[in-house]
Amino acid sequence: MILKLSKGNKPLSYKGIIIEPQIRDFFAGRIWTHNNTPFPQSKINYYTLRNYFTKKPGISILTKNHIFYRQHLICNRCQNENQQEFIIYNCAKCEKECVYCRHCINMGRVTSCTELITWNGPQPHMHKKHVLDWNGTFTNAQNEAAKQLTNSIKHRRNHLVHAVCGAGKTEILFPAVLYALNRELRVCIATPRTDVVLELFPRFQKVFPNTNLHALYGNSPQQTGFPQLVLSTTHQLFRFEDAFDVVIVDEADAFPYTFDQALEKAVYKVKKDGAPIALVTATPSPQILARMKKESWGYSFIPKRYHGHPLPVPRYQALWSYDKTIQKGRIPRKLLKWTITKLSNKEPFLIFFPTIQLMQLAIPLFQQLNANIVSVHAEDADRKEKVMKLRNEQIPGLLTTTILERGITIKNVQVAVVGAESKIFTSSALIQISGRVGRNVALPKGDIVFFHHGITAEMDEACNEILRLNKEGFGKNETL
Amino acid sequence: MKRYEVLNCLLCNSPLDEGVTWKTLLSNRFPRTICLHCEEKFEPCETESRESLISLYKYNDDMKGYLHRYKFMHDVLLAKVFRHQIQQQLSKKKEIIVPIPMHHAKLKERTFAHIDELLNEANIPYVHYLKKITTETQAGKTREERLNAPQIFALKENQDPGNKEFILVDDIYTTGTTINQAKRILLDAGAKSVKAFTLIRG
Repeated sequence: MILKLSKGNKPLSYKGIIIEPQIRDFFAGRIWTHNNTPFPQSKINYYTLRNYFTKKPGISILTKNHIFYRQHLICNRCQNENQQEFIIYNCAKCEKECVYCRHCINMGRVTSCTELITWNGPQPHMHKKHVLDWNGTFTNAQNEAAKQLTNSIKHRRNHLVHAVCGAGKTEILFPAVLYALNRELRVCIATPRTDVVLELFPRFQKVFPNTNLHALYGNSPQQTGFPQLVLSTTHQLFRFEDAFDVVIVDEADAFPYTFDQALEKAVYKVKKDGAPIALVTATPSPQILARMKKESWGYSFIPKRYHGHPLPVPRYQALWSYDKTIQKGRIPRKLLKWTITKLSNKEPFLIFFPTIQLMQLAIPLFQQLNANIVSVHAEDADRKEKVMKLRNEQIPGLLTTTILERGITIKNVQVAVVGAESKIFTSSALIQISGRVGRNVALPKGDIVFFHHGITAEMDEACNEILRLNKEGFGKNETL
Repeated sequence: MKRYEVLNCLLCNSPLDEGVTWKTLLSNRFPRTICLHCEEKFEPCETESRESLISLYKYNDDMKGYLHRYKFMHDVLLAKVFRHQIQQQLSKKKEIIVPIPMHHAKLKERTFAHIDELLNEANIPYVHYLKKITTETQAGKTREERLNAPQIFALKENQDPGNKEFILVDDIYTTGTTINQAKRILLDAGAKSVKAFTLIRG
């Protein structure tokens, strides 16, 4: 007879040491390089010797039964299979040719001679006493969607939440997340954008006061304890494996998630077998929609904003040869007029530019109108501060690239897109940009202008989609 | 060597669409590995008439980023980035090229010798005349400590620098301690002249 010490089915396996909770909490669900952990190497070796870690090589060779057999490599951390990104070099450590993966090199190099470790010791305890401290109210549509999402998670089914910009998508997640947490499930909310993680983190911290919650992004600070709820950028998911019972991908159509296949694979890697995935987006790609239908996912659709006003419909304004005019050192006349109107009305504005170079040329011209106008782009370190300043009305307006297309909410913001015909402004980008306008209950209307050098199909598609959503939400008469 | 082995910029990953021209086909120039935009960010270092030290670039933030990725994140592929410039500087030299060596324990840790790789990529033949005898690095030391540091190199066995001319190669020249110490070893052993070449001037 085996003496049962624990409540579960497994007899308690006593291996001669008591595990430190820090190590258990950190490594549960994670995949990490053996020689580069936040803990002293001696400790890691100690646990490895006692079989608390499963080891696997950093890069594996997939053997394919094929007459034209070619070596096919896969990175066990980031699941990258793009053979271009594997670099063969002469390794001085092994004194032979080794391979490393350039795809995830920013997280510390993984080579074929690196060992990756995953925790196979006892799992941390998950507690059930999570509370939701939120006293907002749902609209009918939100309520319906929240119920559907919870239901899908209950039945371990994938789900797509398709809700217009400003429908209150984050709030819809609250009941579902609470449900999962209290069933001792580990939840991950992943998004392609660091900005979105940074915006969601304080909100979730506030509404889930009893939950240990970690935010993970590039260079995020070290956080302690076992996080039952993880907010993460999709890149950071590379560092997990078989970890989560529910994975929610917010802004599932944003760059680079749709662009980089490894990120999508990462989502499948971090979830446990059979765990559901929920995608949340305002602009689902045709691929996602097709997949949803084919695999019969749960689907919630909210065509109405939470304040019950229709989406602002973009208007077109021709701005012929705007780039040449800006290069000559003048702001195009119609754009100038628009900016001056917004300045005199004291309304905050965003002007989107297709390229950083064009924006750099334009910024001194705008600063002649008002010295406080500034510009942001992806490599700008003060991005967060500048957006905060606009929100607090310390600056009248901001010139930006597509980096601010989603995730930001500014009261009464007016938006212009310069060069809306450019390739970078896809229909989903344009819908997202239009979605910045009129998000406040008090000021549900706003101006969204596409300044263009010729109308493209993408612009029309964006416009028609917005009109369609308004039609779905309000019936025919109220759309225009 | 394959002409189109690098498809995207090694630093910013934007596609490199270098068209095929007569010049690229006929000249022996290495194909591009970084985009023009990234290349512009590196500031060339105007070499003074002082011939004993040649440096290619200044140590600005972008160069710092490059060196970090190459040396500390161990992205060996980045050795290709400056191969054209290094080749232009060193291929016509008659002196013997001597890279600054790494300690063998350090080499195991880094898994590649970063100076040797730079020269390999540029097709420059080199000979190791020196070996490093300490595992200490110059990084993290003050100027005073560096200047008063004891000798960190020794001459390799069965190498005779007597009456030969040398060029030492290193990645970065800051206070000059490394180069000067290596120079002293070679000169003491009877070298005729010792010059230095570094990628970066700190």
